[in-house]
Amino acid sequence: MTAVTLVPAEQISPAPAPAGPGRRRRGWVFHAVMIPLTLLWVAPMIFVVVLAFRSFDDISQRGTAALPGSFTLDGFRTAFGTGSMGRALWTSIQVTVPAVLLSLLLASWAAYALSRYAIPGRRAILLTMLAGNLLPPQILLIPVSRVMESLGIYDTLLALVAIHVGFGLGFYTFVLHGFMRSIPAELAEAARIDGAGPFQIYARIIMPLCRPSLAALGALATTWIFNDLIWSITVLRTEAKLPVTAALLNLQGGYVSNWNVVAAASLIAAVPTALVFFAFQRHFVSGLLMGSSK
Amino acid sequence: MTATRLRAVPGVVWVFLLVPAAVEIGMVFWPALNSFYLSLTKWNGLGAAQPVGLANYRELLSDDIFTGALRNTVIWAVGFGGLSVLGGLALAVALNRPRRGVGLYRSAIYLPMVFSLAVTGLFWRVQYQPDGTINTLLGAVGLESLERQWLADPDTALYAVLVAAVWRQVGYVMVLYLAGLKGADPTLDDASAVDGAGPWQRFRYVVWPQLRGVNTVVFAVTVIDSLRTFDIVWSMTQGGPYHSSELLSTYMFQQGFTFLNLGYASAIAVVIFLLALVFIITYLARATRQEVEA
Amino acid sequence: MVHSELTRRGFLAGLGGLGAAGILAGCATGSDDSGSGAASSTLTLQSSLSDADPKAALTKVVEGYSKTKVTLNTIAIETFRAQLPTYLNSGNPPDVLTWYAGSVARDYASKGFLLDVSDLWTGSGPCAGFSPALKELSTGADGKQIFVPTSYYWWGVFYRKSAFQEWGVQPPTTWDEFIAVCKTIKSKGVAPLTMGTGSTPWVASGWFDYLNLRINGAEFHRELLAGKHSFDGPEVKKVMDHYRQLIEFIDPKGRSYSWQDAVTPLAAKKAGMYLIGAFVTTAMPSDAADDIDFFRVPIIDPSVPVAEEAPTDGFFASAKSRNTAGAKELLSYLASAPAQQQFIQLSKSSNLPTSQQVDTSSFAPLVQKGIKLLNESAAITQFFNRDSSDELQTTADTALTKFIDSPRDVNAILAEWQASAKKVLSS
Repeated sequence: MTAVTLVPAEQISPAPAPAGPGRRRRGWVFHAVMIPLTLLWVAPMIFVVVLAFRSFDDISQRGTAALPGSFTLDGFRTAFGTGSMGRALWTSIQVTVPAVLLSLLLASWAAYALSRYAIPGRRAILLTMLAGNLLPPQILLIPVSRVMESLGIYDTLLALVAIHVGFGLGFYTFVLHGFMRSIPAELAEAARIDGAGPFQIYARIIMPLCRPSLAALGALATTWIFNDLIWSITVLRTEAKLPVTAALLNLQGGYVSNWNVVAAASLIAAVPTALVFFAFQRHFVSGLLMGSSK
Repeated sequence: MTATRLRAVPGVVWVFLLVPAAVEIGMVFWPALNSFYLSLTKWNGLGAAQPVGLANYRELLSDDIFTGALRNTVIWAVGFGGLSVLGGLALAVALNRPRRGVGLYRSAIYLPMVFSLAVTGLFWRVQYQPDGTINTLLGAVGLESLERQWLADPDTALYAVLVAAVWRQVGYVMVLYLAGLKGADPTLDDASAVDGAGPWQRFRYVVWPQLRGVNTVVFAVTVIDSLRTFDIVWSMTQGGPYHSSELLSTYMFQQGFTFLNLGYASAIAVVIFLLALVFIITYLARATRQEVEA
Repeated sequence: MVHSELTRRGFLAGLGGLGAAGILAGCATGSDDSGSGAASSTLTLQSSLSDADPKAALTKVVEGYSKTKVTLNTIAIETFRAQLPTYLNSGNPPDVLTWYAGSVARDYASKGFLLDVSDLWTGSGPCAGFSPALKELSTGADGKQIFVPTSYYWWGVFYRKSAFQEWGVQPPTTWDEFIAVCKTIKSKGVAPLTMGTGSTPWVASGWFDYLNLRINGAEFHRELLAGKHSFDGPEVKKVMDHYRQLIEFIDPKGRSYSWQDAVTPLAAKKAGMYLIGAFVTTAMPSDAADDIDFFRVPIIDPSVPVAEEAPTDGFFASAKSRNTAGAKELLSYLASAPAQQQFIQLSKSSNLPTSQQVDTSSFAPLVQKGIKLLNESAAITQFFNRDSSDELQTTADTALTKFIDSPRDVNAILAEWQASAKKVLSS
């Protein structure tokens, strides 16, 4: 049992499905169902790509739904130019990377403490931390901006990082806690006998075993933080400091929206999260909940 | 599974717990308390808040828009939650076996999560337009009588947005279930197949029990996401036509940030929080008790 | 085997990681002065003009201001509106902000958040030559001016000249002529009126406002919005009777369009006319730009003085600004004739300057027609929400879109409107 939970799931090879004509027919039906379904999912991406390459006149003449009547890079040019998507992308990265690292670090600390030590009321503490995630962010907008103002960090990226860390902690702690609990005590005992203190056990034994879970959580956290809009517009006031989601909103004018520019900018904004997802995909499906099944 | 022996708590472990706890308290719980206090006041963002006791809550009870939004939110939680879980689970089961193209299908279905909601809202708004794809397709198969202005008709607006939201969420739930299924033991599944169990029986009695841990996370995530749904409804209908697709979250946003009735908006937010609490805490407390006892 | 150096190394590594994260975030913040009370020598201009051309125009105008360094921040309008109280309430607020004249500005002034700029309106100040109507719009309840208007635009019934020629109709001047034109256009298989009341339901208030102005006059309209008359009284019922006549001519698909989507049928000659603000010219495809014209909303009762809607935009300054003298100077610059001229030209919009000294002879003929329209009107109001509040606007949106969907329920709809309006106005 112990061995099973420690071995990465990919190494357990699934039994081969029975071969034969029955299987081949089932395979054909499978693809026949999946392909149209997948097309339904991919359709919006195609729509956005098509929209991004159309001209503004084409869209206002024939509508957003029409088949393209033009091909131009104007959307992208404007997005990078006056839309400052390049700068906004860099700002998003500047916020996302520290926020993800810091939240995972702190969450792993809390999870470690709660899962392996007899802290009184640890179940209540864990649930309370998770309850923090239940709050609709909208109610917290004004009080948080007040807190930031009184701390003197309103309109800074540091404030945004702090908010993301605070907000993610509950969920990440909960997931890591479930994971860490399943790590057998023998390993920690062995290290303790060798004279390791709690910090070494954390750093040398627990954390390396959590790597797949951390990778999966890191990918999720990156997506959430990168795609966040509501906190950036609450806490930031200076246009030059806006991350990519808020900058995208700015491209929609108060009167007229250049949908080709908005579409082009959305494509640009989607690239980092797509990259992160594809890079961590293996871990996504192998590490997120390993150990929570018994 | 050997029980983890918890030792007396060393000092560094307290630090491990208290630092994240302090961050969460400062960023989340302190502003939340502020908001709860705000719900007992009348405030428009400027100057001092005026305490009014429970007047906001009394007003909520006699507010038709609020009761409509509450009803819509429950419909949404059940519909969005139920459909995205069922869809995600079905897709995860279907795409769990290594087959040709499976990775492609999985990525395609997750892809909507990577795109900004503004663009997703625009895409679906365009599909639902009177001359959009959906009406065109219905006409093409001879179902003209079913054609309607989906987002402008008070009877269909909420459900039209629901379809769009489920379409987006399904990929996320699928990924969570894929992670859980990878942790399920396939030898049990094949053993029961050899014993003559049909696919549904295998799923119900062999696979499903092993997904208990995943279900906890999926349930938590689904409830949180459905109660927090805001962006997609706002970008597609803003709660219209005449509040027929109003959710508690959109009503709260409008009251708080368009009208600046921050006290009233905070009261609505407290209602959302209590709803979430009812769903989550009872389920989680039961689930984690099972874990502790296991 | 675990060695003590591992402890130190591990601890330092952890600390280093934290420190790196902190430094990384710290580098990203840039400098931000949060000391209290220190006077500032730079200025921040917070703008809600996120449309491409106006944003570029304002950027250029601000670049031409050499007296002080100005940081221009453009934020999308929905966000700007939601954050405006936070901006004004901040310990270090933006010095100058864009916004709208009328009750929305007065509201902030009455709470003490706006800088008194009366000295710009007296003597040789830049606003001294502005019309009395503009001065009135910029004055707070205490009689002091708190707003600097720099542009406004008109509303009219826009159409394509070539389309009218094809259909053989002329721009009408009276209500009966207008209905006749609608009938003719409808007989050609074209929707006579286009209206985008889907995601932008405020468009429906355009006809309401104008019908009210034509039937009951500007004073009644203003009083109605201030709560002095009932929404289910006989005067408003008369307005709704006329509105009902329009419903058969309104393109039913408009209920799914934003105001911008509804321009497409107009440009494609699939719809005849659009009662909308002059900003519609920025949404027209370039090949139709020269073909666009407008006419004044037809007269219903010749004895009622002709009133027009002319929403006014401009700037105000924050009372808590750390550089009030600099803010006033920036406002003077923005209100000056050359700055207004530059902004209007570069923003490629059909906005009108508020300064009499701007040379309008070089403006497009359409714009000059708009100027003439406003000069000839006896009274000017702004749009529904600018004359009342955004909250009252939503009660109008609900009532009017419901009415367009089911005009027979007009009595129930008006009673409901009155109830919700009362709730809004009394709070």
